[in-house]
Amino acid sequence: MPPASPDFSSSVKLKYVKLGYQYVVDHFLTLLLVPVMVGILIEVVRLGPKEIVHLWNSLHFDLIQILCSSFFIIFVATVYFMSKPRCIYLVDYACYKPPVTCRVPFATFMEHSRLILSNNPKSVEFQMRILERSGLGEETCLPPAIHYIPPKPTMEASRGEAEVVIFSAMDSLFKKTGLKPKDIDILIVNCSLFSPTPSLSAMVINKYKLRSNIKSFNLSGMGCSAGLISIDLARDLLQVHPNSNAVVVSTEIITPNYYQGKERAMLLPNCLFRMGGAAILLSNRRSERRRAKYRLVHVVRTHKGADDKAYRCVFEEEDKEGKVGISLSKDLMAIAGEALKSNITTIGPLVLPGSEQLLFLLTLIGRKIFNPKWKPYIPDFKLAFEHFCIHAGGRAVIDELQKNLQLSAEHVEASRMTLHRFGNTSSSSLWYEMSYLEAKGMMKKGDRIWQIAFGSGFKCNSAVWKCNRTIKTPTDGPWEDCIHRYPVHIPEVVKL
Amino acid sequence: MELLITVCFLFLFCTISYFYKRFSQMRSHSCYMLAYECFKATDDRKLDTESCVKIVLRNKNLGLDQYRFLLQTMVNSGLGEETYGPRNVLAGREETPTLMEAHEEMDEIMFGTLDNLFSKTGVSPSHIDILVVDVSLFSPFPSLTARIVNRYKMRENIKSFSLSGMGCSASMVAIDLVQNLFKSYKNAFAVVVSSETIGPHWYCGKENSMMLSNCLFRSGGCSVLLTNKPCLKHKALMKLKHSVRTNIGSNDEAYGCCIQIEDQQGYNGFLLTRNLTKAAAKAFTMNLKVLVPKILPIRELIRFAVISICKTNNKTAKPSLNLKTGIQHFCIHPGGRAVIDGLGKSLGLNEYDMEPARMALHRFGNTSAGGLWYVLGYMEAKKRLKKDDKILMISLGAGFMCNNCVWEVMKDLGNGNVWEHCMDRYPIPRKNTINPFADKYSWINDERLNFVRMDLSNIILS
Repeated sequence: MPPASPDFSSSVKLKYVKLGYQYVVDHFLTLLLVPVMVGILIEVVRLGPKEIVHLWNSLHFDLIQILCSSFFIIFVATVYFMSKPRCIYLVDYACYKPPVTCRVPFATFMEHSRLILSNNPKSVEFQMRILERSGLGEETCLPPAIHYIPPKPTMEASRGEAEVVIFSAMDSLFKKTGLKPKDIDILIVNCSLFSPTPSLSAMVINKYKLRSNIKSFNLSGMGCSAGLISIDLARDLLQVHPNSNAVVVSTEIITPNYYQGKERAMLLPNCLFRMGGAAILLSNRRSERRRAKYRLVHVVRTHKGADDKAYRCVFEEEDKEGKVGISLSKDLMAIAGEALKSNITTIGPLVLPGSEQLLFLLTLIGRKIFNPKWKPYIPDFKLAFEHFCIHAGGRAVIDELQKNLQLSAEHVEASRMTLHRFGNTSSSSLWYEMSYLEAKGMMKKGDRIWQIAFGSGFKCNSAVWKCNRTIKTPTDGPWEDCIHRYPVHIPEVVKL
Repeated sequence: MELLITVCFLFLFCTISYFYKRFSQMRSHSCYMLAYECFKATDDRKLDTESCVKIVLRNKNLGLDQYRFLLQTMVNSGLGEETYGPRNVLAGREETPTLMEAHEEMDEIMFGTLDNLFSKTGVSPSHIDILVVDVSLFSPFPSLTARIVNRYKMRENIKSFSLSGMGCSASMVAIDLVQNLFKSYKNAFAVVVSSETIGPHWYCGKENSMMLSNCLFRSGGCSVLLTNKPCLKHKALMKLKHSVRTNIGSNDEAYGCCIQIEDQQGYNGFLLTRNLTKAAAKAFTMNLKVLVPKILPIRELIRFAVISICKTNNKTAKPSLNLKTGIQHFCIHPGGRAVIDGLGKSLGLNEYDMEPARMALHRFGNTSAGGLWYVLGYMEAKKRLKKDDKILMISLGAGFMCNNCVWEVMKDLGNGNVWEHCMDRYPIPRKNTINPFADKYSWINDERLNFVRMDLSNIILS
């Protein structure tokens, strides 16, 4: 039997058919209206101007009728405007840029590892292999307390790190936006692994002398996706409080959580988590509409905690010697994939164009009724978004999502480069990625951005933003001194 | 004709404003409390004075002065013989707290109260839309909310929030959060779990101001079920009328009066300074300034205004606002004797008003965020709560925060709840709350002991 000839021609034709089909379905209503409008226009032209004037004069309007109809119009307009949810704008945000003195190149990290774990060469070897394949670069940073051999994780050092990271980010935000501390109505701080009493939100209130009637919340223990949980909370609060500003601070304090034992599975986070933080200003004031960078469109939260495996896959526990660390289970990627599937099932109908939804629905019906062997149709999310910000949790996470969502290398470039330059900064990594896209001049007005974050619990949260104005390449920000070097090629394995 | 047009326009304007008002009212959904469940530990966890003394003496860091201070504090604390302590401390392991013990302590409180809550109300955990957990000193990874979601197999789209570090008034912060969320989400159920971990934070050093927490904080917690479904109005116990939050953290003294630090020897503990009463008073005054116009009837406000103007001319004693014209019950945070006395005096309350807080402090100690609910439970068990009564919940906490809520009782309440087994013994007259320890160990205050060095533990325990 002759080998089957490559059917390029048929695949090409299919591509155009798909494009045309997409256009028809997406603009269905508009296309329907066109013949109706054309018909009316022809009718009007046919009648002629004199007939139209005669028609107008012959109409009798009673006073009561005018009043009733105008009342009705006003009533409908009021109901419509009042039931519309308030627009939430992201005015600006600022990311913390750690000082050069905190840098941890591979050599430094491995030297520390060898000295601290001198009795456990296998653990040192393990850390080296992780670092080689991690996708991190030589410029990631750890807080000063961790540079000591052995590390000195006191409460004072932890508070010190929190102050440096949060206050730098807040100062930067105040400078960028011209916001006065007294104008902040809502403050949400999220830091997973460090929550002293009084809270970090109280620390911010104390430093900047914020108002006494501020609504402050301190979220803790909610993992790397806590940043989006905070955004969701800020959105809900801004719906209730008109003309308000909300500041969200996302960070992770490394000092108290550096694992000091020798269990291999628990040494992994030491290789990946790095110093970072971000402060974001959200507002529902109409006056901010002009200068706001983004508008919040959707936030979708998915919690897989009901499943025991998902709940245990990222777990803080004590090792045999009683040292506390975070253990990551081997099923992490599979669970992340499941959580992502649930999340995109919810977000799909909200963001996908009509054509993709219809295709997905038809394939689903077909699989259920006709033939279960039909391949499931994975909607093309590239049609719904221009930019993707995937939480820089680790190389494996980015690879997995790139595969699942069928994204190209350009789409995940922001995530990979953030992982390389800053490491896994937990909840603030999404903002470093946004900053990268802006620094590269890629943000145009109308662009849609999808932020996806995973976190312990197991949670998968996404946020959809729409770019409000074309953003000029910023002259400040965490990427200012190194953006010209990016993107870099990150080899699979960096030989150490 | 013009008159008719004018009348019609007026009518139009009135109708539009009426609809606007109705619509904005519809927007703010009511917050009903369906049930609350306080935690009562098993009897083997009771921490009476003898056990307390044993624990204190185990600490070899302490000198005579510190023993005196501690034992004096215990006598004057207002705590009784039946408060509950954490298991690891009772077993002698307070110097080496483990993560697993902290989880066990939390699981007992959270799951114990939630199981009862769900069975009492008949609401299934899968119906819960909002879950808020506030535990100040313990925030594990995954969060306590994830632990609850896992245990009860709650829904994937649940809105969970894990508040931490917000001190003793965190419960009111959580209630305020739920009230705000109820304005955006219709027909929802919310659960608030308020508690504190005592075990991992038992102070083992020798700083006086950090040892106070050992004398006051005890195990306890509460779970509350809230809803904004209008159809469940008839089942509700109470309705939230107002919630006002005040944070004076901008004042450095107030921020630092109640703070978690490591002492010079590296022991982790909770520092309580003298500025606490001043900060509490300031925060409370600021909060009342906002809350009072909302809760008092207009005639009281006018009366106060008139008297203030008259009295400023005469320069006599300051006129006081009679809060009892708008509030029938006062639920004061049982933070300690000083807190209750101070608040009672400033509000002009009598012994009857302060009794629930005093008795809750005596029976359960300072259970931090969950404390207010024990006070509420006492009022209910004593059958004080009648329909349409207003309750003012006053909470103070690290930050420094004062968060107050006003609840309206929806029906006559009389459930014994966590006070059922001991209600007949309460109220305890003031003179009987003097600690029996005072007589037995009062010799420790003998001045002559200062010059004697001996191992006190052998003497006291014999």
